[in-house]
Amino acid sequence: MALSNDVIITAGKSDARIKGRFARDLIRDKFLYLLLLPGLLLIVVFRYIPMYGVIIAFQDFNIYKGILGSEWVGFAQFTRLFHSPDFYEILRNTVLISLYKLIASFSVPIILSLLLNELRQVMFKRFAQSIIYLPHFVSWVIFSGVIIAFLNPVDGMVNTVIKGSGGSAINFLGDVRYFRSVLVLSDIYKEVGWGTIIYLAAIAGVNADLYEAARMDGANKLRQMWHVTLPSIRPVILILIILSLANILEAGFQQIFLLYNALVYDVADIIDTYVYRVGIQDANYSYATAAGLFKSVVAMILILTVNKIVKKTGQEGLW
Amino acid sequence: MGLSTGEKIFMYLNVLFFIILMIVMIYPFWYMIMGSLSNSDMTADGGLFLTPAGFSLAAYIAVFQNVSILSGFKVTLITTAAGTVIGTIFTAALAYAISKKRLRGQFFFSLMILFTMLFSGGLVPSYLLVKALGLVDTYWAMILPGTMGAWNIFVMRSFFKGIPEELEEAAKIDGANDLTVFFRVVLPLSKPVLATVGLFIAVGYWNDFFSSVLYTTQKDMWQLQMVLKDIISNTSAAISQAGISISVQNEVNSFTVKMASIIVSSLPILVVYPFLQKHFVKGVLIGSVKG
Repeated sequence: MALSNDVIITAGKSDARIKGRFARDLIRDKFLYLLLLPGLLLIVVFRYIPMYGVIIAFQDFNIYKGILGSEWVGFAQFTRLFHSPDFYEILRNTVLISLYKLIASFSVPIILSLLLNELRQVMFKRFAQSIIYLPHFVSWVIFSGVIIAFLNPVDGMVNTVIKGSGGSAINFLGDVRYFRSVLVLSDIYKEVGWGTIIYLAAIAGVNADLYEAARMDGANKLRQMWHVTLPSIRPVILILIILSLANILEAGFQQIFLLYNALVYDVADIIDTYVYRVGIQDANYSYATAAGLFKSVVAMILILTVNKIVKKTGQEGLW
Repeated sequence: MGLSTGEKIFMYLNVLFFIILMIVMIYPFWYMIMGSLSNSDMTADGGLFLTPAGFSLAAYIAVFQNVSILSGFKVTLITTAAGTVIGTIFTAALAYAISKKRLRGQFFFSLMILFTMLFSGGLVPSYLLVKALGLVDTYWAMILPGTMGAWNIFVMRSFFKGIPEELEEAAKIDGANDLTVFFRVVLPLSKPVLATVGLFIAVGYWNDFFSSVLYTTQKDMWQLQMVLKDIISNTSAAISQAGISISVQNEVNSFTVKMASIIVSSLPILVVYPFLQKHFVKGVLIGSVKG
């Protein structure tokens, strides 16, 4: 009895001591919390409140009644979504477009960085890098202007060339056969240079002795790239591929939004553009939020899975 | 070390390849500059525009007479400046606080930031929030939602973790508190990472048009890129804009005006880019080594 009382008393004491230490730490770090506060507040307001807002996906949300006053409908919006033919079309388009882009956007920058690495003139190499990084910083609005001007069926440069060589003009942006190719090619064009940066850094880290040894064995440049450079940067390539798989539902909203039109919805409408049209333009808030929530949840599952896989391969994951 | 004939040929071909690639990358801008300088009567057939077809500055006069472009410049300058300053300072302050292991809740706050990378409320709830806050048609709608990015916070945190603890302790012995340490010791040491993150934030604001799509109902609150989008996608809008005098309207066509508008609005980025490029590259590499 005496013993257990004793235990209780000491437990109470250390509890108080912990509380005291806690309060003391808070006071000691008061300025750090002050620094933390504005940024955290912005995150809570503009990131976390919308997360709470997704509950309208389970409502028949009415903007005048608000979240608290709107009627709850359970999974009705999702049932409607999964029964809509639109859903399979936008899911297919999203996955296909981003898969095409993924294949292009990891293969081309690798080849380009191998070639960049072979440039011996430092000044020329730097200059070439500056030029090919540039399109990354030009906005999609400007780029869409370039694409529209170049592909214009009446007086665009590409069609002028086609017509000049005896062909007939092609409406690239209004033709379901060409639209996705335009998306993928313009995406490569804009991002290929930027995509080389990480590979170049990895290549720079390859042990120079390996190249010397390969040369001794009579390997030419191509064989050195194949047998030395590529295996050495394989971990980086692998990580980047896996990570981009996690983003498979990001097909490039801005680019598509700026280039697509009703003629090519069948092949170009992705989840994000659909959410915008249905949700914001037609004010079907709950239904569009359900579609958006579907995407967010799948994306989260993908990232968590991918991170696990990356860690299993012995690499450092995202966290 | 001598090079074999095969290697020499490869080297020359490689250089040639990059020269061609650079031309391909530069050409669209060249095309647009030449197109914008062309005489409107001579652009109807299209073509390569290696040189201007005729010569006329009327398209540029039209751009600078265009009330929408001028107000777009104003809106974008304000949102970019405010967004970059607020974003960079608050990101740095938050990142510094959570870089301290001793801070109670540090792990929880980091987790909270990390979670924003995994899950988002999506477009519609964010839109409804900005509406509910009464920010529609204000600059804040285009500034605040984009200020804090998880990636930027973690890039800064890993940089701050690399600053030797002794420097901060020395300042504390001299009587400095965490605030003065942050502003007087840490920030001056962090110029490279501040420049890098600040530049990424700035480019994001400069290139933003979608905030205008979502959060503005009045044309005079449009960001520059939104004005540009309107000019590009709407042929009649290109010429018949408020402010453009009739005599100028007669001397331009929608093509030359579109090209001139694109050049004028991408010029600021093209001009500062060569000087800042190395900071951008550094940012990608810091980010990829992660903390």
